[in-house]
Amino acid sequence: MPNLEVVANSLVSGVLLGGVFALTALGLSITLGVMRLVNLAHGELLVGGSYLGYFLLRHTGIDPIAGLALVGAAMALLALPLQWTLIAPLAAKGMEAPMITMFGVSVILQNLFLLAFSADTRAIDTPYAARAITLGPVTVAEIYLIGFAVSVVIVLLVHLLISRTPFGRELRASSSDAAAAAAMGVDVRRVHALTFALGAACAAMGGVLLGTAFSFTPSSGGTYLLISFAVVVLGGIGNIFGTLVAGIVLGLLQSLGAVIFGDGYRDLVGLVLFLLALALRPSGIVRRAGHS
Amino acid sequence: MSIAAKNHSGWLLLPLAFGLLAALSPALSHYALEIGFRILLLVTLAEAWNLLAGYGGLVSLGTASFFGVGAYALTGLLNLTAVPLALALPLAGACAALLALLVSGAVFRLRGLYFTVGTLALAEAVRLFMINSDSFGGAIGLFLAQDPPGLRGLYLIALALLAFTTVLMTLATRSRFSILLRAVRDDEDAAAQIGVRPFRIKLIVFIVASFLTGVAGALQGLKLGAVEPYGMFGIQWTVNVLSIVIIGGQGLRAGPLAGAIFVVVLGELLADYPAVHLALTGVILIIVIRFAPQGLAGLALRRRDARGERSA
Repeated sequence: MPNLEVVANSLVSGVLLGGVFALTALGLSITLGVMRLVNLAHGELLVGGSYLGYFLLRHTGIDPIAGLALVGAAMALLALPLQWTLIAPLAAKGMEAPMITMFGVSVILQNLFLLAFSADTRAIDTPYAARAITLGPVTVAEIYLIGFAVSVVIVLLVHLLISRTPFGRELRASSSDAAAAAAMGVDVRRVHALTFALGAACAAMGGVLLGTAFSFTPSSGGTYLLISFAVVVLGGIGNIFGTLVAGIVLGLLQSLGAVIFGDGYRDLVGLVLFLLALALRPSGIVRRAGHS
Repeated sequence: MSIAAKNHSGWLLLPLAFGLLAALSPALSHYALEIGFRILLLVTLAEAWNLLAGYGGLVSLGTASFFGVGAYALTGLLNLTAVPLALALPLAGACAALLALLVSGAVFRLRGLYFTVGTLALAEAVRLFMINSDSFGGAIGLFLAQDPPGLRGLYLIALALLAFTTVLMTLATRSRFSILLRAVRDDEDAAAQIGVRPFRIKLIVFIVASFLTGVAGALQGLKLGAVEPYGMFGIQWTVNVLSIVIIGGQGLRAGPLAGAIFVVVLGELLADYPAVHLALTGVILIIVIRFAPQGLAGLALRRRDARGERSA
């Protein structure tokens, strides 16, 4: 049994990491809630953000956290044509066709990363990635604390965007009843395009933070997709506060799992939790999905 | 031509085709047997996936987990027990079916697309477990203690498996069960209203499809003579099977065969460039969904119907 201090450090790290999970899950949650799109390429958009942050630092020297908005904006701009050409034309064809299309995008991106950047394991190399910071009785890597703070701020900003702005009003209207919103003059196509871009930006910014805290490879996306999904299912679709809480809970439980069973089991704990959540707590999602 | 006559000729043609493929095996070269085995195995997997997704509306991304469980179960059975191969293969399939039964509560609770995400999570969970757990050889895997049958023998077993699958698919798509299945796929609530039990119907196809996937996995494990988690539980099996059915034609009988030949030929052409192959498969997948939702088989059917109308 590891000593108490190590356990405490690990659990606090898990909570902090959970904040970043909430950010990546938020991106998945809004595309699912507003567009009814199961974005199976979410993980690759996230890893795309990691690569953007990595090359931003290498070629321009811009610190990836300082350039986070830049990465988010770049990914949003890349995502827009993706939505126009691939998703929008399938709008009338149910949920399955767009989902499989995004699965195709996921396979394509993963292999493009492989061709362009090789299978090398990379990490965004910053001084605060490895530096430890002591908070009272616990010591954690500085990046965890930065990642948590930045993520919570972005999640709150997205919350304000959705709840307080005209765009947010159109987004909420399109989410609850797209046909009625269109009849009231909302340009649902435009809302969907911007929602997809916003989701991609959340994924990419999460990718920068995760790519700084951990190493990544072209195939890292799958695990992050599933973690994000677990958070969405636990927190409820479209529920921003729920997503934040669920992210933190998942981060904590993953760390707990890693402490008890060993580090290799970290992601497995999240997946088992996800399957349990599917089995035991499906009502929230079903009601919302059926509501549309 | 009437539907009855068409069915009649199909009933005669299929056993004939299987008989011919078996009779031809001594004349096939090593390369032809290798490709033949791969196509037979992939068609079997695609048939199982088509049953779930095309006929049952259950789009699974968990193929790799049932495939891998079948492969590991076969290796374990042959290494640890005196069970003959002829029995070990269906038992390995039964292990995969058991996994399906165990997780059915979780993946069926939520409808439609959550089944897809649930099965994806299952595949990743099983893969991570097999890599990390020491009880099944961990990341290194297990070796088969006995010599696998020769390539020709494997080809014939794969052919027999596909014949069995074809009979099963014919039963599932031509019987009363197929009507129940389509009713559940198209409107679960309406089906339940008129007395169909959706959970039971879905569970049956999930178990049958998982059994077939497991036996196919067992066969692949037997061919390699060793199993390891990265290959056996790898997402590439899922990608392959999904693309085969979508490219071939979802919910159509000819779909899996057409798709498997297409995917295997493409794979052979790009054998030296696996990443290009996969990326291109993704591109083709997207194009087919957009412009030919019924796949290659659907295109062929449409062309035949158009010709039929012109001549009529």
